[in-house]
Amino acid sequence: MILDAFDRMMESAARQLAQRSSRRSILARLGTVLAGGAILPLLPVDKSGRAKLAHANEFAKTAQTKDPTQCNYWRYCSSDGYLCECCGGTMNKCPPGSYASPTSWIGTCINPDDGQAYLIAYQDCCGKDSCGLCPCLGTEGEMPSYRPELNNDIIWCFGAPSMVYHCSSQVLIGKA
Amino acid sequence: MPVEGGRIVSGLIGLWLATAAAVVQAQQAPAIPAQMPPAAAQPTQEDHPTLVLPEPSPRWVYVLEPVFPYLVVSKVWIFDGDGLAVKGMINGGYTANAVLAHDKSRLWLAETYWSRGSRGTRTDVVTAFDTKTLDPVGEVVLPKGRFLVVPKKHNATLTSDGRYLLSFNMDPAFSLSVVDVEEMKYLGELDTQGCSLAFPTGDTSVASLCPDGRFLHITFDASGRATKTELGEPFFDAEKDPVFEHAAIHRPSKQGYFLSYDGWVYPVSLDGMPKVGERWKLQGAGDEGWRPGGWQLAAFHAGSKRLFVLMHEGGPWTHKQAGEEVWVFDVERKQRVARHKLPHHSHSMTVSQDEKPLLFAITETAMLQVLDATTGEEKGHREGVGISPYLLYTMGE
Repeated sequence: MILDAFDRMMESAARQLAQRSSRRSILARLGTVLAGGAILPLLPVDKSGRAKLAHANEFAKTAQTKDPTQCNYWRYCSSDGYLCECCGGTMNKCPPGSYASPTSWIGTCINPDDGQAYLIAYQDCCGKDSCGLCPCLGTEGEMPSYRPELNNDIIWCFGAPSMVYHCSSQVLIGKA
Repeated sequence: MPVEGGRIVSGLIGLWLATAAAVVQAQQAPAIPAQMPPAAAQPTQEDHPTLVLPEPSPRWVYVLEPVFPYLVVSKVWIFDGDGLAVKGMINGGYTANAVLAHDKSRLWLAETYWSRGSRGTRTDVVTAFDTKTLDPVGEVVLPKGRFLVVPKKHNATLTSDGRYLLSFNMDPAFSLSVVDVEEMKYLGELDTQGCSLAFPTGDTSVASLCPDGRFLHITFDASGRATKTELGEPFFDAEKDPVFEHAAIHRPSKQGYFLSYDGWVYPVSLDGMPKVGERWKLQGAGDEGWRPGGWQLAAFHAGSKRLFVLMHEGGPWTHKQAGEEVWVFDVERKQRVARHKLPHHSHSMTVSQDEKPLLFAITETAMLQVLDATTGEEKGHREGVGISPYLLYTMGE
């Protein structure tokens, strides 16, 4: 079971086409701040409308809106880690006893039902050991950890009461 | 973020108090009666001792496993490359990083624990293990924490002479924690000014990679304070073609090879302020569609001056895809000299540093395979190396 899950996570890496362009554009601007400030910034929402949708379009080709336990659910275009949907929570509610992290990276996903692009905050749920179920891993636009704002290997529990990663949620911010 | 910092500080104060209380308790408490009466010991014809390892062989491999579905614990497996026998195992904490001593006597883990497993007081610590007994023989608490991330080799390193261990921290300020591993003492933090990772460049100096594609170089003194900080020029485009974190670094020769997502090789002299040589490309004519990728995707064998790289066929943003082949390059001629097909696609790989090097590679299904690094001949494999083995270390690398 565990190995199956791990295999699925790794196999999905090649298939997942998460949209990261808007994150890159947001964070390219932040990068300059980063170099001077030397503190990991909390990611702001890109409301500038400059989001590039090429990668979101690629993910949307195979995305669906019916089953949020699958890696190709439309909101998961940039999601990395174990889906909270499979761990006693939902895509926007943390499982009982875990804490929602206020920090996240942000993706732009297209809902294939209306063709619109939406901003999604990938806020982790923290405070319990890793859920271990429904791993999904996207690498589209993903950068090494010396560009931490674009890296999905980091435990994104900054600001939560605990730095123990439990699962990944996908909270709607609004239209891109 | 200040809340988080305050939490750690208050947690550490709590830890200190708890430690102090435990010491007092240990001194004052009456001796606990043995749980097992001596008469219950079963006489046996044979002895039942605990084994002690010989000095580690350069042909052994240390496999770090973060155990993804159970991240609060990790393991380091030790295998003999000749036959893949298990030599032993070490337990670690949350997203641990391993560092091997230059003199082979120690393995250090930079690791994180919570006092109640997944909750309670957080402690970040560098733990020293004896490489023969595999016993923990000392620890140094990291009061500023560590960078919590899927383990990457260059998040912790030793200086060239092996005296100082540097542990990268982003919590959320960027710094390197300096630990004197001879005295087993925490010295302080070096501000990395937003740059990450740790590449040794001397006895008291270290380089980090910055978000805009340049090196930061810090020299420090015996008290762990920075005495000189230098910033290099950008040598790659961090926006369009970043270099992988897992550069192939050979500490004794102070040589490093940084690889980019698209396959450019940046040779870097890590003797003092990093000096970047002329870049060259992994792929030549007819290699279209092939890319470097995986996790620990490159290794350097100093004796033969060969660079080994995991390669796969794939498009852009497949930088974490497992390698189908290992390409071998002569770094002096900047030419490929061999292509080894991997029997099982692998995301991490390293080579031993002896004269007849072994190539170790681990798969996403927890298999460790070993090849003759020179000929590519498969020498064996072993399944079930835990659940999610991720990093490989050899002595002398």
